[in-house]
Amino acid sequence: MEKFKRKHKYEGLLVVIEGTDGSGKSTQLELMKKYLQAHSYGVMVSEWKTSRLIANVIDDAKERNLLNATTYSLLYAADFADRLENQIIPALKSGFVVLLDRYYYTALARDVVRGQDIEWVKNLYEYAPEPDLVFYLDMPVDVLLKRIIGTTGLDFYESGRDVGFSTDFYKSFEIYQKKCLEQYDKMKEEYGFKSIDGTKSREEIHKIMQGEIQKILQSGVID
Amino acid sequence: MSRLTENHNLAGTLVCVEGIDGSGKSTQITLLRDWLKAAGQDVIFTEWNSSELISQTTKLAKKKNLLSPRTFSLLHAVDFADRFKQIIGPALKAGFIVLADRYAYTAFARDVARGVDAAWVRNVYGFAYKPDLAIYFDIDPKTSMERICSNRTPKFYEAGMDLKLSNDPYESYMIFQGRVIKEYQKMVKEFGLIKLNANDSIHSKQVEIRRMLKEVLNSKGIKI
Repeated sequence: MEKFKRKHKYEGLLVVIEGTDGSGKSTQLELMKKYLQAHSYGVMVSEWKTSRLIANVIDDAKERNLLNATTYSLLYAADFADRLENQIIPALKSGFVVLLDRYYYTALARDVVRGQDIEWVKNLYEYAPEPDLVFYLDMPVDVLLKRIIGTTGLDFYESGRDVGFSTDFYKSFEIYQKKCLEQYDKMKEEYGFKSIDGTKSREEIHKIMQGEIQKILQSGVID
Repeated sequence: MSRLTENHNLAGTLVCVEGIDGSGKSTQITLLRDWLKAAGQDVIFTEWNSSELISQTTKLAKKKNLLSPRTFSLLHAVDFADRFKQIIGPALKAGFIVLADRYAYTAFARDVARGVDAAWVRNVYGFAYKPDLAIYFDIDPKTSMERICSNRTPKFYEAGMDLKLSNDPYESYMIFQGRVIKEYQKMVKEFGLIKLNANDSIHSKQVEIRRMLKEVLNSKGIKI
């Protein structure tokens, strides 16, 4: 079998799961982590907005509605840079499979919906390594809406209330998530996402992901 | 996108002072502020790393040496963006004279001296308006160090200790600030910064700055 060609210069493998809120990313990440560990691969997981440096600042600023579109973009970019330099790249250098809940595609989608120039946002992240595999959990907006309302409930920023699409909470959420989905749709091809129907069962989705990852691992790329 | 290369068409006037620590920027801008206020002008003053949103976080992270060149750059950009959207932009639209103690050029000088890509950081600040008057106080690193480190050692980041240029903070300061100065000097041409000799007297510099600002204001129909 031909050896998989990495998209970056590091030893490890960089795998990303993308999708809007409520698409089931974290569930899949957990399943994938267990699967890989069971097969003796070193796994490092990192989630969006969890840097020691800045994550709590973002939460606090959101709570107090202190963010504008530009500071929103830049704070997330700072969070990302901190995690990239302190967790992701060191793990990749050591040959881990790095599983990421969201990557810069999330920033591209959200920031552009907030009115930022796409080229400006791309530049913010241009130094980041390209993932070897990007799964995208594709969910129709009506299913998403139900899921989120039924679990975490509507959050101010996740509903894009800061953008001012509508003063009605539900309406704003619907418009915001639709616009994010449009951005993801555009990125699918540009970045070669492995798009998976997010309405399938968690087992089915896991199986598809497992198959993709297996192909790469079986090529012996990180053995 | 970069607004830094085209004139803004806003009612207000934007003035910034630049240069490494100890170059006398703050003294000059304070004198300028008092003069403008006494002359009945609407003035707003804003300084580097002072936003409500992030300045405390940045200061703390610096104390703990947590920052890489990239995160150092981005956190200062957050601070600038916050002040830009909350203070600088609205004040310019409302016709104020905005006095900025350091502006985007500080980031360009320091971040690039830290090895951050020059085009990258210029793009990060691409939303910033071009100042009507941007003054750069040119000083050599030794004089700067003598002024600010007369009673303390240079701090970790101001000495560029993160770059491991030298284990001696004084020596590291000299090397790092030397690089920062080089970046500033390049920007004299690139952005039309006006270079003043920091070693000139406080009085003569202030006279020169007021003369230049009067000219800018006159061109906007403001007599002072």
